[in-house]
Amino acid sequence: MHAHGPRVFALSFALTAIALAGCKKETPPQNETAAAAPAPAPAPTPFSVTGIEVGKQVGADKRVTNPTTTFGPKDTIHASVATDGAAPKKVIAAKWTYQQGQVVKEAAETIAPTGPAATEFHISKPSGWPAGKYKVEISVDGSPAGSKDFEVKK
Amino acid sequence: MPDPNTPKADFSDVESGSSSTAPPANDRTYTVVKGDSLSKIAKQFYGDAQQWRKIYEANKDQIKNPDLIHPGQTFRIPGA
Repeated sequence: MHAHGPRVFALSFALTAIALAGCKKETPPQNETAAAAPAPAPAPTPFSVTGIEVGKQVGADKRVTNPTTTFGPKDTIHASVATDGAAPKKVIAAKWTYQQGQVVKEAAETIAPTGPAATEFHISKPSGWPAGKYKVEISVDGSPAGSKDFEVKK
Repeated sequence: MPDPNTPKADFSDVESGSSSTAPPANDRTYTVVKGDSLSKIAKQFYGDAQQWRKIYEANKDQIKNPDLIHPGQTFRIPGA
């Protein structure tokens, strides 16, 4: 008889438990009274703007594909606002201005983000943009959240 | 300071648009009743019980355990 028999048994029990745990499949909750060990819920990420980019195109993910700050008169100008965090309601607004503050256009998107997201704004002018310096200012619920300067050249 | 005598550019023909990867905000809410589960609520709103996590993620501030929700809790239901 080997002296380490119980130890081998204990090891084999532990390995079986680990194997069974590895096979456990995630299932949706069935009812409010289902017994489950309380797991600490991760704290929700507070909502914040993580980046602003401008460019001539955005992808399906609403992010600018090739950021640039120089545009031609006939270009469509896109601004993409990257955000993180969850919130029941956030108003992301873009204010486009020309030179010393002349308002070109204002727009807003009301979203209910549940995590990382991108919100895209775009402007175009069929008759052509006047050359000069422009700015897009982004606000969240009326509070400034960042801005990006760009230029239109002939 | 902007010079009031500077002629202004004409931006009357500017076209604009916007879109987002985030779901649009809406005011849909749901108050939990006895016998509810996140799966059941997801089935009711999305037609798919597997979407329960969407509701969970949107209401993490008041759902500590997705297996345990309580009558009277009011959840925000994100857009489909």
